[in-house]
Amino acid sequence: MSIAEEQVRTPSVGSGAATVASLAKGWADRSPKNIAMREKDFGIWLEYDWAETWDLIETAAHGLLALGIDVGDRVSIHAEDRPEWIILDLATVAVRGITVGLYPTNPAAEVEYLLKDSASKVHLGEDQEQVDKVFEIDPNEISAMQTIIYVEPRGFAGADDKRLLFWDNFLDLGREHRKNNPGAVAQRMAEAEDGDVMTLVYTSGTTGPPKGAMLTNKNSLFAMEKIIEQQDAYPDGKAPNESDQILTYLPLCHVAERIFSTWTMLAGGPTLNFAESIETVPANLREIQPTLFFAVPRIWERLHAGLIIRSGDSSPFKKIWLNAGMKAASSIGKAKVANGGNHTAKSRLLHAIFYPLIFRAMQEKVGLRHCRRAASGAAPIAPEVLEFFMGIGIEVYELYGMTENSAVATCNFPGRLKLGTVGEAYSGIGLRIDEETGEIQTAHDGVFAGYWNKPEKTAETMTDDGWLRTGDVGEWVDGTHVKIVDRMKDIIITSGGKNISPSEIENTLKASPFVKEAMVVGDGRKYLTALIGIELDTVGDWALRQDLSYTTYRDLTGKEEVVALVQGIVDDCNEKFARVEGLKKFRLIPKELDHEDGELTATQKLKRSAMIDHFGELVESMY
Amino acid sequence: MAYRRPLLRTAYEQDAAILPTWFQRVAFFLLVFTFGLAALGAPFLSGIPSFFLGNTWINPITNMLPLGIAALGFMILVGVTGQVSIGHAFFMGVGAYVAVSLGGTGDGGWKACVPFHDEVGLLETAGQCGMGLPMWIWLPAAGIGATLMGILVSPAAVKVRGLYLAIATIGLIFIGLHLGRMLPEYAGDFESGRKWPKLQFKFWQEETPLVDMTSDGKWFGLIHLTEEQKQFFFLFTLLLIFGVITKNIVRSRTGRALQAIRDRDIAAEVMGVPEFKYKLIGFAISSFYAGIGGALFASYNGRVAPIQWSLFLSVDFIAILLIGGAGTIAGTMLGLIFVELTPEVVKKFTEWLGDQVGGGGLVGWFADVLLTQGPGDFGPISLTPAAPGWPMSVFLWNFVIFGVLIVVFMIFEPQGLYGIWVRIRNYWKGWPFSY
Repeated sequence: MSIAEEQVRTPSVGSGAATVASLAKGWADRSPKNIAMREKDFGIWLEYDWAETWDLIETAAHGLLALGIDVGDRVSIHAEDRPEWIILDLATVAVRGITVGLYPTNPAAEVEYLLKDSASKVHLGEDQEQVDKVFEIDPNEISAMQTIIYVEPRGFAGADDKRLLFWDNFLDLGREHRKNNPGAVAQRMAEAEDGDVMTLVYTSGTTGPPKGAMLTNKNSLFAMEKIIEQQDAYPDGKAPNESDQILTYLPLCHVAERIFSTWTMLAGGPTLNFAESIETVPANLREIQPTLFFAVPRIWERLHAGLIIRSGDSSPFKKIWLNAGMKAASSIGKAKVANGGNHTAKSRLLHAIFYPLIFRAMQEKVGLRHCRRAASGAAPIAPEVLEFFMGIGIEVYELYGMTENSAVATCNFPGRLKLGTVGEAYSGIGLRIDEETGEIQTAHDGVFAGYWNKPEKTAETMTDDGWLRTGDVGEWVDGTHVKIVDRMKDIIITSGGKNISPSEIENTLKASPFVKEAMVVGDGRKYLTALIGIELDTVGDWALRQDLSYTTYRDLTGKEEVVALVQGIVDDCNEKFARVEGLKKFRLIPKELDHEDGELTATQKLKRSAMIDHFGELVESMY
Repeated sequence: MAYRRPLLRTAYEQDAAILPTWFQRVAFFLLVFTFGLAALGAPFLSGIPSFFLGNTWINPITNMLPLGIAALGFMILVGVTGQVSIGHAFFMGVGAYVAVSLGGTGDGGWKACVPFHDEVGLLETAGQCGMGLPMWIWLPAAGIGATLMGILVSPAAVKVRGLYLAIATIGLIFIGLHLGRMLPEYAGDFESGRKWPKLQFKFWQEETPLVDMTSDGKWFGLIHLTEEQKQFFFLFTLLLIFGVITKNIVRSRTGRALQAIRDRDIAAEVMGVPEFKYKLIGFAISSFYAGIGGALFASYNGRVAPIQWSLFLSVDFIAILLIGGAGTIAGTMLGLIFVELTPEVVKKFTEWLGDQVGGGGLVGWFADVLLTQGPGDFGPISLTPAAPGWPMSVFLWNFVIFGVLIVVFMIFEPQGLYGIWVRIRNYWKGWPFSY
């Protein structure tokens, strides 16, 4: 870190440790007029500058003090991404509380579990829908909860629960507290310590119930330093700065979105733009044209599928150009993949020709024309998708990390990119692959402080010499890059004794725009089979073109033509793998998987055991 | 922000901007600038219109400008408020006669202007009404007079809709024509009309006007212009001003209310847009434009007969709107240029063809086939202006062309020329996709 950046880190209040809250205050002091956040309301992007943002944070922090939040008390937030999320989050850290984020999709049962486990004192439910989930819980079961703040007043007219508090009234409370106790928040901030737990990030829980990983102030600043401020991770060599734009759309309770929006904003000063909802992300992307963009594989797959569908709908003349462009993109993509992400002479020429003709318009339509760094993470992505985007001039850098190490592990760097790997370890961190089990282990300042109230689980995840066990099996590629084989628990051992990593096969299937979900089955069986969920949009579109009429998702999956379509994808996939890794049979899942039904986690990951429970008959029918 | 983000709206003002993009701003100013330079006689720029319209091209173009103001009013009534009216020529006439009564120099003086005198309806009436007031009085008064007439008529418009309104407004034309015949003190002779006040600014009734647009000479002591150029610039500026006003009306609260009425008057009423009030406002605004346009048109032409404010003029506006594209200013302007200049171009073209007859070659043969030289020749176009029946004169052919065009546009491109432009634009906007 340079001296200038060192100054950025110095909190401007007292001598407390640097926290996300002190960073926010720093921005408000240095550039009060810069835009910190934008939120779309009635078709207009409303702007919050830093002075306004910090004022709201400080007011909310006073409000929390007024509500009796003490050091280490939990404040839970159950909302879509919106300014209030960030304001309350930072206010909580300012008063040395602990933020607990809940996924907006969390069903009532999970909300109950999370609120009981974290015993949060103040809860923010953004609207009636989310607050109703709390009302379903017996108040005695969550006796710690004293206040439920709501942001959207609609539907609360008749509610008489005395725990309820409207957001505006909460801020009024804060203003009054500030008037009576000026400096109370500054006082708290000055007492902050590096080791303070700032947030509980609940793991998605593909296996057991979610566990709350405790991240400290030190963890968050370490993650900023390694993930956000490494200049060589940006193709143009510039760390995030005030001119950058970020679209915030993934759940903020997930560590990845927290890093790539809140923490990036605090580290470098870019503007956060809140997407209206996950459905409007493509439209919001076109409006905002972000310069920094992080997405999970599902989003990249959807953007890819969107482009493919729209190409299919183009008029004949445009199709000629599109086809030529796609061919060029594929050639450029291959050349760059083979060359560490760099152009070759030929690919540079092709790019120069097709950029003005096709690629620029395509990038504009996707909303990533000004994007100077795009990243993918949080789940494995199919290399084919990355290659496509690389071909049209959007380099996507895959990175890897997990909640427990503040997502600090590996990252692909410009010019040294290796597709199919998650890149190289950040400089100066401890990362090793266990020789016996192949498990990736890390040791650095980003490693969490343990699971909330679960010391035995914490002990399980640490090795005897104090390294964090990630639970992922990896291998070295060329001695520098790490390739993730699979989750340790997911590795399939067939009855023939062969070890097979299902995620590689699943991702190859999912690279097809028609496949949304794929789950390879075969543990202890003679051969591999798969449960495949189709993508309704693309397959529906395809069916329309084939003059195939259908009514529902279930009806569509029952069509012979659709089965034949997927059979083709499976056959293509089988060609890429060894015979033992080939899929003998597959079945289409007759419903769209859902978090509510327990088949997916809040982060849209498959819960394999639940899948086997739900679709056991389908699986058995293949053997 | 380092990059331009045209879709990122942080205020409603950006949404409602007259020229929202940088490209549109540049294109608009270039267009205005080009028109100006062409009128000043810049060598290459004025070559284009003179190729189509001949060396006196500035006259048909200037003649078109007051009609443009009236067309904007028609656009507000039909395109924005959705009230189909064929009485637009009547309101233009009202404006014109208010102007001539106030600004004209009648030999009857102000006494002839007093209505209800003994000699109503007699052609032999000696005096003509005219008070000789300056333009700053007669021009706004023309607009206001027409507005009052529009307000008077509008209650009927609330009662009848669609085709019935169109038919009811035809009645206005005939009332107008009848009054023109009945009131020669105002209208002058029915066939030959009377003289209108000149386009010149006077403070009061002094001899030398402050700004004169009816003779060649230096303007504001700066630049030497011909009479035609002065009139062009004056009317062009007025058209620009009225264009901007129109845009502002359309994008304001009033404009949104008018559009709500257009899209469904009952639904608008339910939404809280008072139907009667906004239909009245629609008629009033539209009549104001018509009044100003009519006064300027008559004043530019110098002498206009009552017969000019006829159904044909109203139909011209319908053609402008339907061919250009209802509901947009750009469309109205496109329609205006097309409808008003095509006859001139066709006339010029036939004249040129006439010269080619017998000239041999493909052009000569073509001209020979198209034109009728005399009895026995079978060409469809007659060169004699007043020829009745077959073959038809160029003047009559223009009506046929417009009739066919209106039908074709109604069926294939209801959004008119502007709609074609929008289609082309969207084709490239979506590139390389179709949506």
